Amino acid sequence: MNPNPQPPQWASRLLVAVCPPDLTEELLGDLYEQFMEEIAKNGEAKARRKYIIEVLKFVRPYFLTRKAETPAKTYVLNPYPSPFFLHPGMLRNYLTIAFRNLWKSKGYTTVNVTGLSVAFCICVFLFLVSYLQLTFDSFHEDRDRIFKTYFVSNNPDGTERQGAMSLPVGPALEADYPEIEGFARVMSGRKSTVEVNGKYFDKLVVMTDPDFFDIFSFKLLQGNKVNVLNNLGNIVISRNMAEAIFGSEDPMGKSLAVGSGSNRKDYVVTGVSEDVPSNSSIQYDALIRIENGDNYASDKNNWAANSHALFIKLPANVEHAAFEMRLKAFSKKYFAGTIKELREKGAKPDQFGDIFAVRLQNLGKVHFDREISGGKGAPIALIYTLLAIAFFILLIACINFINLSIARSFTRAREVGVRKSLGALKKQLFVQIWGETTMICLVGFLGGALLTWASLSAFNATFGSNLTFEYMLKPGFVMLILGVFAVVTFIAGGYPAWQMAKFNAVEVLKGKVSMKKPGILRNSLIVTQFSISTLLVCCTIIAVQQVDHMQSVPLGFQKEQVISIPVGNQLNGRQILARMRNTLASDPAIISITGTGVNLGKGKDRVSSRSIAGFKYKGKDVATDWLLIDFDYLKTLNIKVKAGRDFDSSFAADSTNRVIISESMAKMIGEKNPVGMLLGDDADTSGTKSQIIGVIPDFHLYSLADDRMPLTMHISGSESIYYILVRVAPHNLEGSLEKLKSVWTQVAPQTEFMGTFLDENLAGWYENERRLSQICSLASGIAIFLSCLGLFAIALMVIEQRTKEIGIRKVMGASIPGIIFVLSRDFVKLVGVALLIAIPLAWFGMQQWLANYPERIQLSIWVFAGVAAAAVLITFITVGFHTVKAALVNPVRSLRSE
Amino acid sequence: MERSYLGEFEELVLLATAVLEDGAYGLTIVSELKQRTNRSISLSGVHVALYRLEEKGLLSSELGGATASRGGRRKRMFRVTASGQQTLDNIRQVRNELYDAIPGISLSPR
Repeated sequence: MNPNPQPPQWASRLLVAVCPPDLTEELLGDLYEQFMEEIAKNGEAKARRKYIIEVLKFVRPYFLTRKAETPAKTYVLNPYPSPFFLHPGMLRNYLTIAFRNLWKSKGYTTVNVTGLSVAFCICVFLFLVSYLQLTFDSFHEDRDRIFKTYFVSNNPDGTERQGAMSLPVGPALEADYPEIEGFARVMSGRKSTVEVNGKYFDKLVVMTDPDFFDIFSFKLLQGNKVNVLNNLGNIVISRNMAEAIFGSEDPMGKSLAVGSGSNRKDYVVTGVSEDVPSNSSIQYDALIRIENGDNYASDKNNWAANSHALFIKLPANVEHAAFEMRLKAFSKKYFAGTIKELREKGAKPDQFGDIFAVRLQNLGKVHFDREISGGKGAPIALIYTLLAIAFFILLIACINFINLSIARSFTRAREVGVRKSLGALKKQLFVQIWGETTMICLVGFLGGALLTWASLSAFNATFGSNLTFEYMLKPGFVMLILGVFAVVTFIAGGYPAWQMAKFNAVEVLKGKVSMKKPGILRNSLIVTQFSISTLLVCCTIIAVQQVDHMQSVPLGFQKEQVISIPVGNQLNGRQILARMRNTLASDPAIISITGTGVNLGKGKDRVSSRSIAGFKYKGKDVATDWLLIDFDYLKTLNIKVKAGRDFDSSFAADSTNRVIISESMAKMIGEKNPVGMLLGDDADTSGTKSQIIGVIPDFHLYSLADDRMPLTMHISGSESIYYILVRVAPHNLEGSLEKLKSVWTQVAPQTEFMGTFLDENLAGWYENERRLSQICSLASGIAIFLSCLGLFAIALMVIEQRTKEIGIRKVMGASIPGIIFVLSRDFVKLVGVALLIAIPLAWFGMQQWLANYPERIQLSIWVFAGVAAAAVLITFITVGFHTVKAALVNPVRSLRSE
Repeated sequence: MERSYLGEFEELVLLATAVLEDGAYGLTIVSELKQRTNRSISLSGVHVALYRLEEKGLLSSELGGATASRGGRRKRMFRVTASGQQTLDNIRQVRNELYDAIPGISLSPR
C-alpha cells in the first residue's frame, strides 16, 4: 500500500483553475481531509474516485461566475489593479529607469559593452571562417548523391587511400553500372596560358567531361548545360574570366587559344558560368573536355596512370554502402593484377574482404579529407578548434556579464525592495532587469557588428582569408548569430535578473542582502574564465615556439639568396633553363643556375609535388624520394658533397644513369661506402641500373611536418624540369629579382614571371601552423583582455563595498601594502586555482599536438612558470589599481557617513 | 427587519452550523447532515450554501488553524451570526405557528 497517498494532482489543479483564489485553500483542505478519511474507510482507489467526483461537482456556475465578479471585493491589498506587465506605460518606465541606471554606472556599462563587442566581433570572424569551411560544397543540389571515387589498397605495411583515378575508370564505371547518372573526371593541374588577340592570360583551365554541369550545380549564365561541352573544341569560361578577357562584349562564340607550343589549341566559347564560390573544392576559370589533355591518347586505356579526380552521381534510390559492395566486382575485373601483386607481397584483406577496392566518398566529406584530396583539404580538427575558441571567448564575455550583473545587483537591491513593497510582481521585475541587460547586449552586438565591418579587410589581410560582408547576410549565418544572441541574453541576462527578482523585499529593505558574501558561483566563474585564458595563452606560446622552431631548424641547405622560378606545364623547362644559362652566363650577380622537378617550399604557383620510388635492393625493400635535378643543383643550394663527387657536365653518363644519394639513403640500402655501387631493382637485369657517384648530407626537401625520407637525385635529359633555381650574389637581392624578371620576358614571353625567394617559399610550408598560431594569439590576447576587464570591474565593486573596512583597517594601523595584500589575496587565490586547472590541461594537450611533428620542441617548464607568474602579476596590477586608490583615501572620509 | 428567505438545503446547513457551534466547517457540516438526514450530501453543495449564507449575513467565517490532516491547509470556521440566529428563530416560530394551526387532528378537545 502506498505509504503516502495523495489525491489526484490533475483534479486538484482543475479545482484551483475553477475556484476563486481566496477559497481554494479551504476547499482543498476539506477535500484532502475527506480523501484521507475515505482511504481509512474504503481504500485508496475508492477515495480517489470520490475525490475526482467531488472536484467535478465544484465545476458549477456558482464558482465560475463568482470568480469573475469578486476577487477585487474580498482580498485586495492594492486598491489599484496591476497593469499587464508589458503595458506600454510600464515599458516606458522601464526604459527610463534602464537608461538612468546605465548612465549612472558608466564604468559597468562600458566594460560590458566593450567586452561584448570585442567578443562578438571575434566570434563572427571565427564563426564565419568555420561556417565557410563547414559548408564547403554544400551548394550543390544533389550533394547527397555525388560521390568521389577513391582507391583503397591494403598494403602489407598499412592501408593507403588515394583519390587520383586513371582515365579509363570513369567510362568503365558507367558502362558496367548503367544506373549511374553521370560521371565527371576533373583534372585540375596548373594554370595555363590563354591567348586572345595577342593578349595572354594565366587561367586555371580545368579538363572534365560533358556531364559536369549535370552533376554539379555550378550555374550557367549563358549556354545550355546539356550540350555546353559536347564538342572537344568547346570551352566554358567563368564570368570573371569573360569580363577580364572580353570586357563588356558577348563572349559566346568567340574563340581563344589555350596552351602553348605543341599543346596549343583553339577553343570556341559555348558557355559562361557564374564564378565558382570560394567554398567549392572544385575551382576553375575555364572548362574544356578532358580529351584535350596532353597524355589522353596514350593514357586513356592505362589503368595505372592516376591523374585526376572522378565524381559520379548515383540515383536517389541507390544506397551508398550497397553500391560500394557492388563495386567489388569492378575491382576484381579491372585490378586483378594489382590485387595479385599485393597478395604476393603479403597484403591482408580488410574487414570488407578487400585487398584493393574502389570506394565512394560523399562530396560533403571531400574537403575535410587530406589524404584523398592530396593534401588540399582543411583538417576538420582545426575548424572545431576555431569554433571552440569562439565559444570560449563568448563564454568569457558572458561570465563577465553575469558576474558584473550579480555584483551590481547588491547595490541595486534597494530599488528591487522598494519596487516589490510597492507591489511589483516578480515577473515584472524579471522583465525589467532582463530588458536592461538585453539592451546592453544589443548595443554590444551592434558595436561588435560595427567592429567586424571595420576590421574585415585587416582580418582578411592577416589571415589570408577572403571573407566578405555578403556571407554574414546569408540566412544560415544570420540564424546562427540570432541564436547566439538569444542564448547570450538568456544566460547572461536572465540568470542575474532571476536572482534579483527573487530578493526578499523585507530583508532587502532591512539592508541584509548587500552584506552577502560573493557566492561560490562568482568565484567559480572567475576561475573558469582565467582557466580558459591561461589555457589559450599557454597553447599559443607553445604553438608559436613550434612554428619558429620549424622555421629555424637548419634544413641542410642554404636557403638565402636563392630565387625559385616555376616554369609551368606549358613551356619546356629544359629549353628555358638552357636559354637562361646562356643569357646570364657572364653576369656577376648570378652565382649559379639549375633546374629541378620539385620546388622547395610553396611558390606563387602553389604547387607542390613529390615523387617516390620503391624497389628491392639486394633483397631489401627501399623507398626513396626520387628527385630530378640539373647540374649545379648542389652548388646553388650550397650543399657539400660528403663522399664521391657532384654531377659534372663533362661526363656524358652523368645525365643518364648516375645518382647522388643522401646519407640516410646510404644507411637504408646498408652500404658503408656506396660510391660506385649500382642502384636499382633486383629484378632489373637490363643493365640500366644507376651508379652512385656521390653521397650528400641529409637535407629537408619537404616540410618539417612531413617525415624525412632517404633521397636519391638524378639528372635526366628527357624528364621535364618544372622549376629553375638561381643563386644570386648577396648584395642587391631585389635588383637581382628584377633582372631575372626582365630576362624571363626574353626567354619565356608567353608566361608570367612567378619567381620568389626560397625563404618566402619555405615559410609557405608552415602557413597552416602560422595562421593557426596567429589566430590563437589574437584569441588568447582577447581572452586575457576580457578576463582582466571583468576582474577590473569586479575589483572595483568589491572595493566600493569594502571602503568602510579599508577605512577601519587604516584607523587601526594597517599599512597600505598590507591592505593591498589583503584585498588582492582573494583574487590571486582564484587565479591560482585557475592556473592549477589550466596548466596540466595545456601540458597534456600540447604534448598531443606536438606529437604530430617529427621535428618538435621540448615543452619547457618555464613557459608555464612564466604564464603563471604573468597571470598573478596581471591580477595584482588589475586589482591593485583600485586597491591603491581605495587605500590612499583618508579614512575620515570613508567612515564619515552613517 | 427584512426577512431573508432560505431554501430548504440552506436552512439545513444553517441549522447544522448552529448545532456544531465551534466546530463548524465544510467537512463537519457534511458529516453532520449525512448522519441526520441519511441523504447523500456533496461537499460542493454545502460550500455553496455556506458562502450564500455568508453573503446574506447569516453566517460569519474566519480562517482557522492549519492541520497536517488537511495537508497543511487552513479551514474556514463558520459561526451563526446574530441575524442568522434571528432567522432561525423566525423560521421556527413560523413553522410552529403553522403546525399549531393544523385543524382536526389535534388530540386536544375543542
